[in-house]
Amino acid sequence: MDDVKKIAKELLTSGKVDAVIGYIRYGNDKRTKPFIAQKPEEVENFVINKYILNNLAVYLTRKEVTKLGKIGIIAKGCDVKSIVALIQESQIKREDVYIIGVNCSGVAQDYDIEFSAETIAGKCLSCEVRTPKLFDITIGTIEDIPQGEDKKLKVIRQVEAMKPEERWDFFEEEFDKCIKCYACRQACPLCYCEQCIVDKSIPRWIESSATKRGNFSWNLIRAFHLSGRCIGCNECERVCPMDIPLSLLNRKMAMITKDDFNYVSGMDVNTPTLIGSFDLKDNEDFIE
Amino acid sequence: MEEKIISKENLLKLCSDLLKNNVDVITPGEKGYVKIKSENEVGLNSKAKHTKASFKEYIFPKSEPIIYYKKNQNEVEIIEPKVEEKTTVIFGAKPCDIRSINILSKIFNWDYKDEFFNVRAKNTVLIGLMCEYADEFCFCTSVNLSPTSTNGSDIFLLPLDENSFAVRIVTEKGTNFLKAYENYLTPGNPEKSKEVEAGVKQPEKVFDAEKVKEWITGNFENEYWNTIGKMCLGCAQCAFVCPVCHCFDIVDEDYNYYEGRRMKNWDGCQFDMFTKHASGHNPRNDQSKRYRQRISHKFKYYPDKFNEILCTGCGRCSRGCPVSVDIKGIVSEIYSKC
Repeated sequence: MDDVKKIAKELLTSGKVDAVIGYIRYGNDKRTKPFIAQKPEEVENFVINKYILNNLAVYLTRKEVTKLGKIGIIAKGCDVKSIVALIQESQIKREDVYIIGVNCSGVAQDYDIEFSAETIAGKCLSCEVRTPKLFDITIGTIEDIPQGEDKKLKVIRQVEAMKPEERWDFFEEEFDKCIKCYACRQACPLCYCEQCIVDKSIPRWIESSATKRGNFSWNLIRAFHLSGRCIGCNECERVCPMDIPLSLLNRKMAMITKDDFNYVSGMDVNTPTLIGSFDLKDNEDFIE
Repeated sequence: MEEKIISKENLLKLCSDLLKNNVDVITPGEKGYVKIKSENEVGLNSKAKHTKASFKEYIFPKSEPIIYYKKNQNEVEIIEPKVEEKTTVIFGAKPCDIRSINILSKIFNWDYKDEFFNVRAKNTVLIGLMCEYADEFCFCTSVNLSPTSTNGSDIFLLPLDENSFAVRIVTEKGTNFLKAYENYLTPGNPEKSKEVEAGVKQPEKVFDAEKVKEWITGNFENEYWNTIGKMCLGCAQCAFVCPVCHCFDIVDEDYNYYEGRRMKNWDGCQFDMFTKHASGHNPRNDQSKRYRQRISHKFKYYPDKFNEILCTGCGRCSRGCPVSVDIKGIVSEIYSKC
């Protein structure tokens, strides 16, 4: 924990960066929240623990943050994948961000709960980037991850086994809950469009109403726009106030792109994006 | 205020009678405020945590048609939907949720009388329940409320012991509602209920809303707004789970060339689109300006116009914020600057 303060302080003191995005303790010891330090003395409350849930990479494309200058960012392996994806998609430049990578042994799925095999975030169970793929410096040491059950994968298998009508009903019931608050979009590091298609009104492509049709359109478009791009940080699902299991769609999309195109988003800044690497030899057997 | 006692058994019977009479009963549960099918689902736990969203949806829906239109030759036919006159009972809501009804009534009856809201509000009976849950996000006492406040309730329940509740009859609507259930009630024991009331843990009062209003008045351009603006991600989680946020957008949706409907949809002031003009100009072109609006609307503009704070201290916005932007902390910090 002292490491993170020391590094952030040094970065700000030396002027290597103008701001460091990190986590500070908040409320009790089972909660943190994002904080952007612009002065060396502001890093005093920086912390690394099992509750650093946010993917801070979402701030890297927000104009309120980019205007601060060069950014240092504390990022777990999964968060680094989204930084890599942002570089792959030419949204940020490698040299514009200083990555303090966290060697990560898993985080809790929510605040205010004891970290255990039962409560570890689902994404951590199958994590392959416990040491980040890209960094300027790393902190922390890797410990064993408690092995719990991958409950979401089980649900994906159940949904796959459903008849199409049942699957439709399943998602209809889930999407009905949507209130169109767009927390999923705003918390997503890869939803950086200056104008989201759902906000386009001349003409309007997607109904803004939180009705059956409007909710289906929004949630499916969101999933499609992230297919081959989503890195699986699961922030959309974590922040959804209506508890819609959004990761089912994102993760299934990632499984398809891995199986059909052997592509995993956010692994290498030098790999072209999936959409940007169309090849005549691409698998086409999904077209019927 | 008249007071009675009802046993838990009779309260469940009352609930069962309502369901038999085809009344919609809405109650807080693990999945939020839901319409229940059996009296056994009724939420009567005063120690329960707040649901993620308030019951606002049942009186002011997230999306509703306000006009249907048809184009016939050279004419446009307008069909106005009628809100169904159906009794709804909100059962066991916290004081900080129920307080919302009187705050919302003011905006929805200020110049234009919003029939959609008014018909639903008129047909809704609000049964409040004393609150014995207080976490670090709660601040009802800072906005002139308390865990036993009856403001907004037609009927208010206080658990006296495991098996009985004190029934405070707050409004005429409450009196009329209970007429059909008089044989479920026994005479009240106000001494005992006052004792229970006195024993409830109150969230600490953390700011003086009057002082906060003064600070906001003189600090439109204060640097402080930027410290929040750089953290807020600009979604509407806070506004949509809020019991009293009431902004809406009106959009026309065509089914086809000849028919369509005009929708009234929840809108949120943290969206960049919220104030974007047709010209492309946006007067609130930065998140800090948008967050300033959120706080100013709640603690200055609404109090100035309607003499009500546009906040009930429930803490929902902060509990659910993706990046833990915490309204209690922010307003407390403003208060510390006063």
